Amino acid sequence: MPVTRRQIVAALPAAAVAASLPRVPARAQDGRKVVTFWFAQANSDGQTALRNDLVDAFNASQDKYLLQLEVKGAAVNNLLKVALLAGNGPDIVQTSGPSYLTAIANAGQLLPLDDLAARYKWKERFLPALLNTGVYGDKLYALPRDYESMHLFYNKQVFSQNGWKVPTNRAETEALADAALAKGITPFSAGNADWKGVNEWLMTVFFNNVAGPDNVRRALSGELPWTAPPFVEAVELAKAWYNKGYFGKNYFSLTNEQSFLQVVNGKAAMAMNGTWSFGTKSFGMSKPDTVMDVVPIPGLSDRVTEPLSHLACGATLSIAKTSQNAEGAAAVFEFMLSRQFYQSMNRDWPGKWALPVKDLPPDLLQGIGYPLFEKTIASLHEAFSKGRFGFTTWTFWPNAANSYVTEGIEQVWLNRITADGYLNRLQTVFAEELKAGRVPPLPPRTA
Amino acid sequence: MWLFALPALLINVCIILIPGLLTLMAAFFVWDGVGTPAWAGLANFHSLFDDPVFWTALTNNFIWTAIFLIVPMCLALVMAAALMMVPSSRIVVQCIIFLPRILAAAVTGRVFQGMIFSPVTGLVGWLNGHGLSISDPLADPDRSLYAVAAVDIWHWWGFLAVVYFAAMRQISVDQIEAARLDGAGFFALLRYVLLPGIRPTLVLMMILTVIWSFQVFEFIYIVTQGGPANGSEVLATLAYRNAFFAGDIGKATAAACVMSLFGLCATSVYLWLQTRDSASAA
Repeated sequence: MPVTRRQIVAALPAAAVAASLPRVPARAQDGRKVVTFWFAQANSDGQTALRNDLVDAFNASQDKYLLQLEVKGAAVNNLLKVALLAGNGPDIVQTSGPSYLTAIANAGQLLPLDDLAARYKWKERFLPALLNTGVYGDKLYALPRDYESMHLFYNKQVFSQNGWKVPTNRAETEALADAALAKGITPFSAGNADWKGVNEWLMTVFFNNVAGPDNVRRALSGELPWTAPPFVEAVELAKAWYNKGYFGKNYFSLTNEQSFLQVVNGKAAMAMNGTWSFGTKSFGMSKPDTVMDVVPIPGLSDRVTEPLSHLACGATLSIAKTSQNAEGAAAVFEFMLSRQFYQSMNRDWPGKWALPVKDLPPDLLQGIGYPLFEKTIASLHEAFSKGRFGFTTWTFWPNAANSYVTEGIEQVWLNRITADGYLNRLQTVFAEELKAGRVPPLPPRTA
Repeated sequence: MWLFALPALLINVCIILIPGLLTLMAAFFVWDGVGTPAWAGLANFHSLFDDPVFWTALTNNFIWTAIFLIVPMCLALVMAAALMMVPSSRIVVQCIIFLPRILAAAVTGRVFQGMIFSPVTGLVGWLNGHGLSISDPLADPDRSLYAVAAVDIWHWWGFLAVVYFAAMRQISVDQIEAARLDGAGFFALLRYVLLPGIRPTLVLMMILTVIWSFQVFEFIYIVTQGGPANGSEVLATLAYRNAFFAGDIGKATAAACVMSLFGLCATSVYLWLQTRDSASAA
């Protein structure tokens, strides 16, 4: 039947009224309320784990809600911003950490979780240091999805063959690196050809392990400028190590996976990389931990005399303010806190979903069946519980300062600017963001 | 007449004019992309002009434009003229030179990055293993822009050659035959017959090249992300990073406005040339 102009004109007000009606939660064919969740990047192992251990397992565990998860890729943060502004975001809002969360939380796009947290006792079940990264203006807006740290991964076979020991301070680290170079072995394999963020991983180590975590915290609080001598020393050391070839000849040519594979293959001795690396293909090639070992990175100055873990929250989980199914989203969070999910997800995709639960009994970890990962998570849990940690750039630096840390250091390494020039610019960018209230919440630490 | 133009006009207003004006407005506000924008006047432009990376990016855009106005243009003209003079195998040759154009930019970028330039998995690595010492140009801030330009030229010049060849085929065969009978060689024919014959197409493609060169993004972002040390940074990658990594939409749109300014200049030149040609024809 042809549609007349009069019918179209008559339909327009109806369409406008329909568009202005309040949204109701979508329902699946079996009457369950749908919970939508956009995930960022996941490799093939990760996607399988997400499907089996989260989506299918949650949907089978109850009959009220149906979880629908979409893997959106690296652009998810941008997609989220646009979708939330338009009021069409997913129910579960996952960001790539507190740096990204701050803008969304400050803009009032998220539902405060305090009521749900009280009902499910989340505040008693998460590690405070991590949970605090989701608190803005005394309200809880996000739960931490995981904890991470930069660690020293090393090839224990290469160490054993050369009679090397794990370094415990800067002098030992440099002596070991020089010995490796003399044998044609790359001391610290690294590569940023596919992800410039590798620069900030390394700078997290230099800022914390050279300048010291207390100085970093003071700088992030605005009590100490980034131009202070401890940070100059940190950047100068980063430059010196780059120029000596400690990060190999092909830093700008290798991808992160390729660089890590060099350690697994014995072409490099060590890598300063994140604990998420347990879930990468290249690390997977070393299973079952016969080749690799991992320890916290040693202190690299007189200020830092002990190995240091770096507090990082790789992703946060929130509920959109416009969500019509906050209860369903909370049910998913509750499922994530189950023993079944913790063990299966960490077994199938280690390092990506190490939920920072306060109570981590040994049998929970042993159920994962991956000793090196279990050891690392246990040590992170202890360090973060006791407040002994440094601060990672991608969790605690505001966006523009974080972006400059990543971009600007290449100019220092390649002699385009000086360490002072780099830190001056960082201070300028950071001061503006501090003034605008864009620095994520800083958890207290103990010496 | 207005009624006929209305659908196209509406689409252009909705998807070009309004977003364009909103972008222009955003350049005068401080905005993180989700919060409430705050008026900033010209602060975003001041911040942009104070950033040395902006000047590096702008210079790189000019270098990129110069490269693309010369290298692929010359390659394409010579190939199109050769196709005119050697009719056999025209179809096969056109298919081969057009092939890079139909490959996705991400595929082309990754192929060059991993299979050509990589010192581990690429041709560069293989040559190094056989005694020829070559470093990865993508890892050198002084050469990375030229290396990415080479990738884009490989992807682009065949398309340009096919466009020029199509234009040359509109030239009267009698004119070409007469020139050849008069003893014109390859370059004389190109210079005195073919180039004047395709002048409107040539001018159009040059103007479009200028516009596209100030918008270039995909190959640079895929292959080098603007690095190392901003060596291959251009305005579009700078704007993208400001918007989506630094969360500074105002400064990003200020950079986008500078990009658009050059496109606007190129478009104005084209329209002026068209008007002049129309006037002289009348």
